[in-house]
Amino acid sequence: MKFIVSSSALLKHLQSVGGVLTGNNPLPILDNFLFEVKGTQLTLSASDLETTLTTSLEVEAKEPCKVAIPARLLLDTLKTLPEQPITFSVDLKKQSIEINSDFGKYRLAGFDGDEFPRFPTIEKGSSIDLPSKVLAEAINKTIFATGNDDMRPVMSGVYCHLGNDNLTFVATDAHRLVRYRRSDVKSKKESVMIIPKKPLNLIKSTLPNEDVKVNIHFNETNAVFSFDNFRLICRLIEGKYPNYEAVIPADNPNKMTIDRVTFLNSIRRVSIFSNKSSHQVRFKIAGSELNVLAEDPDLSNEAAERLSCEYNGDDIEIAFNARFLIDMLSNLDEEMVNLEMSLPNRAGLITPVDEKANGRDILMLVMPVMIG
Amino acid sequence: MPARTVVHMDLDCFFVSVSRLLHPELNNKPVIVGGGERGVVAACSYEARRFGVHSAMPVKQAKRLCPEAVIIRGDYDAYSKHSDVVNEIICESVPLYERSSIDEFYIDLTGMDRFFGCYKHATELRQRIIRETGLPISFGMSANKTVSKVATDEVKPNNQMQVDFGCEKSFLAPLSVRKIPMVGEKTYTLLRSMGVEKVKTIQEMPVELMERVLGENGITLWKKANGIDTSPVEPYHEQKSISTEETFEQDTIDVQHLHHILIAMTEKLCFRLRSERKITSCITVKIRYSNFDTHTMQCRIPYTSCDHIIIKQVKELFGKLFNRRMLIRLIGIKFSHLTGGGHQINLFEDSEEIINLYQAMDRMRLRFGEDKIHRAAAMSFSLRGFNPFNGLNNSPVGKNKC
Repeated sequence: MKFIVSSSALLKHLQSVGGVLTGNNPLPILDNFLFEVKGTQLTLSASDLETTLTTSLEVEAKEPCKVAIPARLLLDTLKTLPEQPITFSVDLKKQSIEINSDFGKYRLAGFDGDEFPRFPTIEKGSSIDLPSKVLAEAINKTIFATGNDDMRPVMSGVYCHLGNDNLTFVATDAHRLVRYRRSDVKSKKESVMIIPKKPLNLIKSTLPNEDVKVNIHFNETNAVFSFDNFRLICRLIEGKYPNYEAVIPADNPNKMTIDRVTFLNSIRRVSIFSNKSSHQVRFKIAGSELNVLAEDPDLSNEAAERLSCEYNGDDIEIAFNARFLIDMLSNLDEEMVNLEMSLPNRAGLITPVDEKANGRDILMLVMPVMIG
Repeated sequence: MPARTVVHMDLDCFFVSVSRLLHPELNNKPVIVGGGERGVVAACSYEARRFGVHSAMPVKQAKRLCPEAVIIRGDYDAYSKHSDVVNEIICESVPLYERSSIDEFYIDLTGMDRFFGCYKHATELRQRIIRETGLPISFGMSANKTVSKVATDEVKPNNQMQVDFGCEKSFLAPLSVRKIPMVGEKTYTLLRSMGVEKVKTIQEMPVELMERVLGENGITLWKKANGIDTSPVEPYHEQKSISTEETFEQDTIDVQHLHHILIAMTEKLCFRLRSERKITSCITVKIRYSNFDTHTMQCRIPYTSCDHIIIKQVKELFGKLFNRRMLIRLIGIKFSHLTGGGHQINLFEDSEEIINLYQAMDRMRLRFGEDKIHRAAAMSFSLRGFNPFNGLNNSPVGKNKC
């Protein structure tokens, strides 16, 4: 069995699906790419059991074939070849593969394609179509706030609520929380899912630049994302997501409005002088003046900056982990942001000042650190 | 390194002196500071020393040696307070100093001779401390920390001396090797078995020989014996951990009681953490059984300074650690991996009430005293406490030498 394919096209596709591969696979077969030829269509897959990414391209082929080819070896070979048609000859009995290039031939041992784990199929699922721009932005704005705690797996993913009147993505690690909401995209059927970080990152990196339609087909346990010729199947995180709406404080009488970039850069500079483990910065806000302060008494480091802002509320002194603030502020695009607070031991809310929001609503919440 | 002038100041039998200030009837009597029947001598007066009593000796044995001695329990809060007063006086009179323990200070007076004369300045400082605090204090002055400390030790009590520049070696030569600060019981025995008794012998030995016997420490010891010590007077020591431990009057197996003590200890340490604006990420629990078998167990947690989180960990560790049906003699808790900062409030687990509660309790403690508010379980235990952040010595057995 033979097929002929362009080396660079194959490499490009393999590199996209190769993002799934991990160093420590539970099954040795998962260190391979699955090649399936049907007609003139070559389908490539990589999987880590939790997540499977599949793509397809046109090849010249006569017979169908299914084989698993060692991923690392193949990628390394293709990377060093200039663009040219290459021929794969597969001996299904011996599971041996011969690749012919302009320069010579390379032989490697493959595995039976049927050993590759079967991909889950989704029965009785629901489905929704999203513009890729919306999905990409939802992932970008939320994924940095997910947690890493193995004890609380639900927080390691992004919670996704497909509602009748809006679409909500939430991520939290219990210290900060981001809620991204679109009221211009709706679902016919109310449903929720928690998508793990890895498939979201893969989607983020494989989504094309131009706006395409992404179809999400899902049930309680799995979801399939389809766009262009990509198909990503992932297992969803099971469990109950914490009641995030209940912890977002509604009444925040102290509201500061400030230029985002100025604020972000000030925190970046001042936090250099904060403690290297706690990254603690303090804000003192009074009148229309914001003081950004940090100190590390162990090293006698200290920094203070004064910024002007628009402020309505009581004088307040509140401390935060600077890394959280930097993450949040650098993931916003608007020129101005609001920081709403009530008390030094209650959450601070960062929202963009966005006149033409067009049904897009972002809320970022950060918990303060206790100060005496 | 250019010639330096380093003064070592040491409060004479500090614990006893403070106790005498508070209770003048103790004057001129042999006094032993130490905990209970089973404790050890934390400090003793010179009158008691004449009977052979020394610190770290079991109280029982001290009693046998000196039956007429008055044995008092340490009032560590008072010691800490008096130490702070002395610290303040030194702080405002000298350019650079190091508080190396509750009753010892190193002062760097290098360059002061241009203005005052170092010896004169140190003498005036000593007089001022005696006048203002009523506590006897001694000092030794020389070119480095080691020689100054030995000098202080030589002239005590209530005296002062200067080792002239260049005379360090001859000053140390006739002394016993035991006098060198880094020589403890074990090293002393080893050196004696080698036939080394006087510092002079070490001075005459080649450094390689010392290295062969004691390794890296041998080189340091040889240098010290020769009056060479380049270690600087460091104004600040980073606090690496804080700890507390309690030896029981009677060995116990009452788990309820042990839990309550653990809670009291954790509360105390957490309050200290918060008042120093620190957070910890490593908790260690220590158990000593009645046969002196000592076990410790530790765990890492996300940085915090909150009682309820740490108490939970401490109880868990204790549960894992205490697995023998044997009486317990001592338990202790240590927080390490400290860093500056406040507890990062958790969105789902920390209620606003509990954060407000800690802040209110801490304000009450700062205003009315640390022992004024506790969890009910911890109520009945008054743990001896002087601030582990500046008292340095936080084990119940004082390393205080008079």
